[in-house]
Amino acid sequence: MKKNKLTLKDMSTASGQLVELKQEEFMKLPNPYDTPEAQPPLKSLSDEVREKFECDLDGFMAIKIIRPKSREEEERLVNKFLDGLRKLLSKENNWTFFMPLMLSLEYCAKCQTCSDACPIYVSSGKNEVYRPTFRSEALRSIVDKYIRKKGSLYLKMTGNEIELNWKMVARLAELAYRCTLCRRCAQTCPIGVDNGLITHELRKLFSQELGIAPEEIHAKGSVQHLQKGSSTGMIKQAFADTLEFLEDDIEEKIGRRITMPIDKKGAEILLIHNAGEYLSWPENPSAFAIIFDAAGVDYTLSSEIVGYDAVNYGLWYDDFQLARVALKHAQIAKDLGVKKIVVGECGHAHKAISVIADRILIGDLNIPRESCIPILEDIVVNEKIKLDPRKNNFPVTLHDPCNMVRLMGIVEPQRRILRKIAPRFREMEPHGVENYCCGGGSGFAIMPSLNFPDWRSGVSARMKFKQILDAFQDVIDPSIKKMVCAPCSNCKGAIRDLLAYYNAWEKTGIAYTGLVEFIVNAMVDVKEPYIEWPEF
Amino acid sequence: MAKVMLGGKEVEVDEDGFIQEPDLWDQNVAIDLAKTEGVQDMGEKHWKLVNYIREYYQKFGIAPMVRKLCKDCDLKLKEIYEMFPSGPAKGACKVAGLPKPTGCV
Repeated sequence: MKKNKLTLKDMSTASGQLVELKQEEFMKLPNPYDTPEAQPPLKSLSDEVREKFECDLDGFMAIKIIRPKSREEEERLVNKFLDGLRKLLSKENNWTFFMPLMLSLEYCAKCQTCSDACPIYVSSGKNEVYRPTFRSEALRSIVDKYIRKKGSLYLKMTGNEIELNWKMVARLAELAYRCTLCRRCAQTCPIGVDNGLITHELRKLFSQELGIAPEEIHAKGSVQHLQKGSSTGMIKQAFADTLEFLEDDIEEKIGRRITMPIDKKGAEILLIHNAGEYLSWPENPSAFAIIFDAAGVDYTLSSEIVGYDAVNYGLWYDDFQLARVALKHAQIAKDLGVKKIVVGECGHAHKAISVIADRILIGDLNIPRESCIPILEDIVVNEKIKLDPRKNNFPVTLHDPCNMVRLMGIVEPQRRILRKIAPRFREMEPHGVENYCCGGGSGFAIMPSLNFPDWRSGVSARMKFKQILDAFQDVIDPSIKKMVCAPCSNCKGAIRDLLAYYNAWEKTGIAYTGLVEFIVNAMVDVKEPYIEWPEF
Repeated sequence: MAKVMLGGKEVEVDEDGFIQEPDLWDQNVAIDLAKTEGVQDMGEKHWKLVNYIREYYQKFGIAPMVRKLCKDCDLKLKEIYEMFPSGPAKGACKVAGLPKPTGCV
């Protein structure tokens, strides 16, 4: 274990676990979590797991890389890493992100403005290994020495004389999963260097060249999405069964039967939800159905495989998987003859289909894609349905999904909705494009294995928890029920686990839900409260 | 992946204790899986829930949505947490022999 200040060289030379996290060094949380006793312990990996898998970074594990059995195997993997790196750095093989990657590798002035913008670095008590530039510098050093073959004097002067060996590669793989790709660092950089992009490209290298990726986002994620229809494993029949259940459930709740339109040719909108909503937060797609029905929106859902799950995990780690899913989404929209695709409350799906896929969708596949939020804004603000804000008379704060605000600039519509229908809405600070990630970004929310969830709730989501607590300090007593509005499935998953980890409902009365739930809760025609509070 | 003894037979489980060969599941396997979840005594209600999950999984290849589960088994979510402290997905589904939940759930 490294006792002194960590340097890049340690990545390839230190034996065993590189750094040990100390909870007493973590960023302090506000009341009632301002004591050491209020911090849930971080679980350690068992000796059996440590022996079997590469986990020599910080004692946590996001990817399960089986330790190579021989030197030859290690060398083979290191060489593959170099092959992949060469591809990343060539226009022909990396046409998607070649230019921004080159710019970010070339121009970092090492001013460290980005460090204080990174919630993981700050929350960890400024642990060097999580500094946004640490990972980038490691990659830059490898590029300088092994690809550009700079002389040893240059490498010494830049402090970049590192050794590329298996230890370095294995630690880099894990380190590529200690950043949520929130890109707050890129936003604050005076010259636009994007450490989030460098992390993304590293993940890509590992997935596309070495077949190394967390199983939750690859094998059980995008692969399952393409094969079965959804990353949840939901097959077509299960989707049909689910919708049938939801229609019954809606009728029971609001006293009126609403049909959820499926595969309606020529509808104006193809609405795609993150399929996790159907399973874990069915009140969300149901709320969309109620609102769209009341407002007379001409839309359809798709029952085609992939068409009923908006997720596109490839966005986080693999351009090929990203393209496969995006093309399928567009093809389904084209076959249905809709005018546009509208993405439900899912941040990364917003970015994947609306922004990143734009260069992949050519010709008549380039169907307009939109966020659901401005459509909802139009319905609420222009009073297309009857709403009574008094029905949302409890404190509410809003979490901004990074992909909606920072990446796409969708900032005001969700606020105009809440200002109209939630009289006790208050902002968390900072918010909008300056927001902090929920801690579950880039796949972390759906990686529940071993002790990784502890790292997420303890470190990567720590800043979000602080923000939520700060926003409610004046009403922190658990007898006052309050809501975090999080219009994104991944963010909801991370916030759900975060609140459970800190037992926050019991201690502070804080619960969470999406955005559409507030709208239906305020609907005059819906007599019973729509928002459900935890039962315990 | 590792092999462990469950219900008197060797079954492969993942790092989080979910069985990898759903076909090997039977009541005795479930009883031992329940113990790993801190459930010492599988009562009537436990079986009703586990069997419901199992049947749904065999039909549709996934766990039922929690809302449906509560409704069809006439249980409140709170009661499920009392029966299986890790909750429906990580607790009850594990005992029912389902693989670990996937996707944004």
